[in-house]
Amino acid sequence: MSEAQIYEQGYRRYDGRRLGRRAAVRSVWKHTVQRVLGLRRSARHKVLPFLTILFAYLPAVAFIGILALIPTDADRARDLAPTYSQYYGFITAAIALFIVFSAPEALCPDRRHRSMSLYLASPLSRDTYLLAKALAVFTVLCLVTIGPLVLLLIGYVLQSNGPDGPLGVLAQLARIVGAGAAVALFGTAFALALASLTDRKGLATGGALIVLFGTHVVGGILAFVLDLSNAAIMLSLFVAPFEVAARILDAPTGATAATSTPNAVIFLAAAAWAALFSMVVYLRYATLQVTR
Amino acid sequence: MADQVAKRWGSTQALSSATFTVGRGITGLLGANGAGKTTLLTLILGLHRPDGGSLRVLGVDPMEAGPAVRARIGYAPEHDGLPPDVAAHDMVRHIAEIHGLPGRVATARASDALYEVGLGEERFRPVGTMSTGQRQRVKLAQAIVHDPALVLLDEPTNGLDPVQREQMLALIRHVGHDLGLDVILSSHLLDEVERVSDAVVIIEQGHATVGGRMDELRNAGANELVVTLDDPDGAARLVEGLQRRQVGATDVGQGKVVVTLTDDVVFDAVRDEVARIGLGVRAMKVRTRSLEEVFLAGQLGAT
Repeated sequence: MSEAQIYEQGYRRYDGRRLGRRAAVRSVWKHTVQRVLGLRRSARHKVLPFLTILFAYLPAVAFIGILALIPTDADRARDLAPTYSQYYGFITAAIALFIVFSAPEALCPDRRHRSMSLYLASPLSRDTYLLAKALAVFTVLCLVTIGPLVLLLIGYVLQSNGPDGPLGVLAQLARIVGAGAAVALFGTAFALALASLTDRKGLATGGALIVLFGTHVVGGILAFVLDLSNAAIMLSLFVAPFEVAARILDAPTGATAATSTPNAVIFLAAAAWAALFSMVVYLRYATLQVTR
Repeated sequence: MADQVAKRWGSTQALSSATFTVGRGITGLLGANGAGKTTLLTLILGLHRPDGGSLRVLGVDPMEAGPAVRARIGYAPEHDGLPPDVAAHDMVRHIAEIHGLPGRVATARASDALYEVGLGEERFRPVGTMSTGQRQRVKLAQAIVHDPALVLLDEPTNGLDPVQREQMLALIRHVGHDLGLDVILSSHLLDEVERVSDAVVIIEQGHATVGGRMDELRNAGANELVVTLDDPDGAARLVEGLQRRQVGATDVGQGKVVVTLTDDVVFDAVRDEVARIGLGVRAMKVRTRSLEEVFLAGQLGAT
């Protein structure tokens, strides 16, 4: 007996289940993640995100490969393998690149093409729309701030170079997730703030790069040239998130010269930056004219 | 239903004391550019709070129940609003999802809605590769995809050539009459509203000067009956006979007699007189007003 079914095509009334605002946020989140990663779009939109992701994971693969191929004793292996916070040093550029192009891709087109009016004519409000966008950017950034370190952890564990026992592994995993989430959160707030100020993706990306380098130079001059305080390096948006990650992961990064600065100062400085950026985004969207 | 609704943008009074009721079917929101039509649509969507008066949409205050109201409204803005690098189907499905439809239902209905507006074969094309007419259709599709209780269309024929405009008006009629969705059509084009709408609200400098069902507005003040005769020479005899019966009538040429309607007895008088003289009647029609006459009368009333 045939299993064939006839599907009626054409517009019909719908009296089924309707989901609420949470589903709307989830849909915007999914749509934005796909957009940033270039999914469901032509190949050229996929090049930059996937190359950046590749650059973020490549060093981890290389270190694991080297440790696997070159026979070393445990002490030698520890010397060769970077710590988790040191690993960020290898992929800072990839993470920075991901930060400065992902948020503009998430926010700018909706304002440039005036799609905001379609979103706000739905159950979404400005706040829930922004929440969905921020969650999407955060999710995408976690791919390069958490993923490579998790890969590194797995590699170290398989080579018996990781933490001792399952609890040790879980504790290290928790620290990696916490540190990666902190970097992603900081990057999300920073990049969304810059992206909220212009409708043009290129301008937002360029502006974000200038601000990143500008604050790095200023922070460096204050901390090293004028010798004001080690904590002044937290003015650098390049350093601030990774210093926080270092404090969560294992130790202060010697490279930032902020080793003598207490954790509380580091965390407060990073939180102040993130709060400032979040306020910029919120105020920008609260006053944005959409339908007039 | 709007009662004395007022809205000010800075120093500009966009709406003042707008009072009207929108019923079933297609309602035209007619007014010149800057008359306050888009402002009214944003108030209906609950995106802004009126400065005065009260507004109820689908039985509730849109400011109090904004998300719930907007879930049941479809909106096609005046401007483009569609990202050019996203496929039409993806965008329409996305809009369906944010209006609360589950994923699989949204996917199926996005295809159905795009078929309905004539873009079935084109639905996977990026919006940016489509013509203006096709993009306007995508906007219509995204406005109806979630089966809304009310569809708001803001200047849906903007930028369309005459052929595309005809097709869009036919689609709007189809949505309002065949699919059974209630539509508010905002337009500054009088003939467009007249041809498509079942009712009209005329906005003039922030005031709703005229509002009601189209047939009622046309018939309001209709006090003349036009009788067209087979034999043009019979017009003079009919006028003479009616005047003898104390009924006002004028021969306007080409076999047409305009009879003044005072009450229903006049119809009987015309029937009896035509029968008495033995004239053939080709047509008999109560003269109605065009929307332009209604619009102008409203303007005069407002000034």
